[in-house]
Amino acid sequence: MAVGVPGEDRPYLAGRIATGDGGPPEDWEAPRERWLSTVTRPAFGPRSVLLEVVARILIPAILTLAVFLLVAGHGRPGGGFAGGLVASMAYVLRYIAGGRHELAAGVPMRPNGLLALGMLIACTTATLPLLFGKPILYATKWEFTLPVFGHVKLLSALFFEAGVFLIVVGLVLSVVAALGARMEAEEEEMRQEQLQRHSRERRTGADGGGGR
Amino acid sequence: MNVLLAIPFVVPLLGAAVTLLLRRTPRSQQIVGTLTLAVVVADAALLLRETADGTVVVSQAGGWPAPLGITLVADPMAALLVLVSSVVLLIVLLYAIGQDIGGLSRATPQIFHPIYLVLTAGVCLSFIAGDLFNLFVGFEVMLTASYALITQAPTRARVRASMIYTTISLTSSILFLTGIALVYALTGTVNMADIAEKLGAAPPELRMVLALMFFVVFGIKAAIVPMHFWLPDSYPVALTRISAIFAALLTKVAVYAIVRTQTLLFVRDDISAVLLWAAIATMLVGIFGALVQDDVNRVVSFALVSHIGYMILGLGIGTVAGIAGVIVYLVHHIVVQATLFLVNGLMRQYVGHTSLRAIRGLTTVSPALALFFFLPALSLAGMPPFSGFIAKVALFEAGIAAGGWLVHTGVAVGVLTSLLTLIAVFRIWTRAFWGTPLPDMVEAKEQLRRGANLGGLRFMTAMTGVMVGVGLFVMAAGGPLAEVGFTAARDLVDGDAYIEAVMGEGAG
Repeated sequence: MAVGVPGEDRPYLAGRIATGDGGPPEDWEAPRERWLSTVTRPAFGPRSVLLEVVARILIPAILTLAVFLLVAGHGRPGGGFAGGLVASMAYVLRYIAGGRHELAAGVPMRPNGLLALGMLIACTTATLPLLFGKPILYATKWEFTLPVFGHVKLLSALFFEAGVFLIVVGLVLSVVAALGARMEAEEEEMRQEQLQRHSRERRTGADGGGGR
Repeated sequence: MNVLLAIPFVVPLLGAAVTLLLRRTPRSQQIVGTLTLAVVVADAALLLRETADGTVVVSQAGGWPAPLGITLVADPMAALLVLVSSVVLLIVLLYAIGQDIGGLSRATPQIFHPIYLVLTAGVCLSFIAGDLFNLFVGFEVMLTASYALITQAPTRARVRASMIYTTISLTSSILFLTGIALVYALTGTVNMADIAEKLGAAPPELRMVLALMFFVVFGIKAAIVPMHFWLPDSYPVALTRISAIFAALLTKVAVYAIVRTQTLLFVRDDISAVLLWAAIATMLVGIFGALVQDDVNRVVSFALVSHIGYMILGLGIGTVAGIAGVIVYLVHHIVVQATLFLVNGLMRQYVGHTSLRAIRGLTTVSPALALFFFLPALSLAGMPPFSGFIAKVALFEAGIAAGGWLVHTGVAVGVLTSLLTLIAVFRIWTRAFWGTPLPDMVEAKEQLRRGANLGGLRFMTAMTGVMVGVGLFVMAAGGPLAEVGFTAARDLVDGDAYIEAVMGEGAG
């Protein structure tokens, strides 16, 4: 937690632009602690340490809650859809805190893949009962006793719900990728250009003997 | 039974998942898509064989008895429509594959295939849904897929059209959901057979409001005047493969939903006058619109609006013969509209556009194209011996037998509309197909011939020919088709067989 020296080597992009208009001093945004897994700053807005810390603390809890909702779904409020939405909120939070690189680092596969995998799981578990002469979506129940959990009631509908869970996460992530991340990439490009132009101006200004 | 009813929507969803995973290999996507739709066609044929004698096939998903669980039902009408839709979907997919192989399209195939299969699932689920909420789900699956499809190969015009289309569709969806909530508040159930039993006891005024509400909801989607304005603005702009499917199926799914809800849930006399007036307005406004358009795609789109009126007319007549006419008309119209849009797509390939101002002598450029336009166009106008003639005669006979001045006016307007349709298609014929080709058209064709795209183009033309063949088959099978139509219509007007099959023996 050492206080950084101003002008220290900074991996973040473009501190100068964000602080050029009477905002906090530019070293304000220098990273002192890595709260998230990537080090590239999001292109939009200034970095928010508070948000990063909160995201770091909350995401595991949110994901645990999502899994709880998924499992509790039979008979109590919850289920694959609700669980999937909660889980995808964790990723959305991570995206808002860290930008698209952070999102990409946190997701095991592309949103399309998640969608396809979830659909495969859901469709297969929905149709499996047909092979045994039961109607579609039929659910069977297994009851057994596990050492730590005690008496466990497992419904085959859980696998279907898991598929729904993946579909929802995949869908939300692909919306984020289509609407947020692409826009962010464009903005980042613009910011890079602006930065280059600024540094060029500064160089020419210095060469010209401080004319401006 | 369970298997037959599950396949039409589960297999396309599985296919969508697989094609989504295979998005790097277009060839395997094409194979999976074709196989999926072939399975659905075969399944629909079996389903129709099962139900053709008026049997109602039921499957209670998850084993939960109606009205608690999700019910899947196929009566002759649903089975017939699943079959026709899946055949059309398969042929249009093959047409699109031909286009992709030839490199003639700007669509992104890796997204097209999964969404197309999801659309298939939505269409099939809408036909076999046994409860209102599942009908809503089927509609939404279909519509959500269509929102994505209409902006394929986005241009400024397509994005603009999709904004209109999406807004209008979402509005109708919200109304639909509200209607379901009201029905649930009134009867405590969303199962259609259960509602049919309980809604009879409801106050007639309330029932009429609900009937009107559902008519408006599906009327927007079916493009019934005065809720039609969005259709000619959005359909012609999309890619051919997509507008063909939209024109052939989406409006017809809505017509199916109108027929199903108005016959099963509501008492016929409630809003039959409204239906008849709407039918008359739809026929006239649509065909007058078609007469003044300069773009072939827009002419055909307005004609589509106009001919929705015939089906509403049959429903307004409301007798067994009238509804049998609607069913025959549905089948005829699905095939003919798809064919006309595919022909327009070929026209766009040959000439680069579909504006009547700058097309001459297509007969010389491509005789096959001329033939493929001529046959369905005559069928659309209701010339004997084509399927359009059979369907229209069935409707008019039912109307004349039913009586009443409004019904007779409707029939008269129907005859007039069919003559005006003849004028509209002959306007296209004389302008675009006769005469000597313009120099730039000959040049465009030479360019096409020199390019390496000929195989794909031939395949597209062949598929259009197959679609024309399906139209001729519908004509040749007019007798059995009418028989199935009458069986289905008797079930629909009576309603008991459906309710008994869904609710079990104890119901009545």
